[in-house]
Amino acid sequence: MSERIWDKFLTERDKTVLTAAGFGALADWGERPALIIIDVNYAFCDEEPKPILESIKTWRTSCGEDAWEAMPVLQKLIALCRDKGIPVIYTTGIRRADNWDSGSWSWKSKRRGETPVLKADGRDGNEIVDEIAPGPRDLVVLKQKPSGFAGTPLASYLQLLGCDSIIVTGTTTSGCVRATVLDAFSLNFRCTVVEDGCFDRTQASHAINLFDMHAKYANVLPSGEVMDYLNTLPQGLFDLPSGQGMGTRAAAE
Amino acid sequence: MTPDRFEEHAWADVVPEDLVQIYAPYQRETFVGPRPALILIDLYNLAYRGGPVLPITMQDQYPSSCGIYAHNAIEPTKRLIAAARSAGIPIFYCTSDQRPFAAPQGVGATRRRKPSAAQRLPDDFEIWADFAPQEGDVVISKQRASIFQGTPLISHLNLLGVQSLIVCGESTSGCVRASCVDGYSNGLHVSLVEECTFDRHELVHKMNLFDLHHKYADVMHVDEVIAHLDNTGAQKVAAE
Repeated sequence: MSERIWDKFLTERDKTVLTAAGFGALADWGERPALIIIDVNYAFCDEEPKPILESIKTWRTSCGEDAWEAMPVLQKLIALCRDKGIPVIYTTGIRRADNWDSGSWSWKSKRRGETPVLKADGRDGNEIVDEIAPGPRDLVVLKQKPSGFAGTPLASYLQLLGCDSIIVTGTTTSGCVRATVLDAFSLNFRCTVVEDGCFDRTQASHAINLFDMHAKYANVLPSGEVMDYLNTLPQGLFDLPSGQGMGTRAAAE
Repeated sequence: MTPDRFEEHAWADVVPEDLVQIYAPYQRETFVGPRPALILIDLYNLAYRGGPVLPITMQDQYPSSCGIYAHNAIEPTKRLIAAARSAGIPIFYCTSDQRPFAAPQGVGATRRRKPSAAQRLPDDFEIWADFAPQEGDVVISKQRASIFQGTPLISHLNLLGVQSLIVCGESTSGCVRASCVDGYSNGLHVSLVEECTFDRHELVHKMNLFDLHHKYADVMHVDEVIAHLDNTGAQKVAAE
């Protein structure tokens, strides 16, 4: 592959060491992937594309315009997976109103206590953004820690679906994306990270975390290549949720 | 086995009719799931100490022995393992992690008093010779009741593409039960082999089998499971 997003952050020695040590080989794809969308909610995206310095005045975790650049990529991937019958699994946060369960999160952020809501309709920042809203047959995993696996049923869902691999997108590359990839790797799931489907608050962290994951845990690839791969998979590989009754339930809430 | 024979198991003589009625909504067909692995829980020497006698008769010397119940399970377990080997399915054992410096005080599979030095033998936690692990098998060391808790088992199962478990061993009320529940919670279909599973007392064994069968696992007879494995093995040979 030509120039990678992380190349400009590496020293000459880094490049030589990595090649000599044999890291960064392209691993095999799995045969039964799930698409994972990590935390693409309003708290990380804001309600509209805004310059990040502006956006974080309200949403301290916002990734600003980078989030919205990834949105069309996510839409394409989600549409393709739904079409193919490949599981689409979202994660987002869940928190008590009094924030008691933020636990370790409060140790490193001075603005932890802030709990803004959407200007438009007062919804919670943990709501997944409408542009990629979960469909009735998708799965949503609620979590409190960086990894999508920590204290959640995610691993058991993958087991039930018979998945052998995950394709990871979302935010932040350095935080929840990386933590989820690392746990999946430890569980022997094959991991792909969609380079243009991930975003972060800090550009250097984004690049270097993609670099680390590509070196050790995952194939970091552009969405075009991931879609080419998904298109090679047979239709209807999975026994997905029927989605029956999900529309009514959403409306009732 | 068909739903109408759902209660034809070891607990039939101790479970009253009203209890069976309460559990009627659990009745279903039992089966071995797709891509199974055999899980042999705690088949170590300690469980067989003192020979085939009632555990109460050697309570002082061998408080961990399942005595007659352990020994009764030897033959069916040998048959089950042989069938699993012929079918070529993955085989996992587990035993207690006895490494020095491995755990702080108070860590154990149960809250039972620790045995005295006189009650301990160096090969207590080695697998009973009849079932000695073979090349390619995996022995998991664990510190708690469940074979899943704090072990790499689920990673191994994912790597092998395992989707269901065939479980047996001891004790029904302790490590077998904990492992079946964790297997179920991890999204795996669990089949528990009745004749190859045991405890220190019949009543505890039967009631725990009853609980597991209704809620978390398909308790099956060893002949059914072996027939299934023989069938899979034969299909595999035919396909090759």
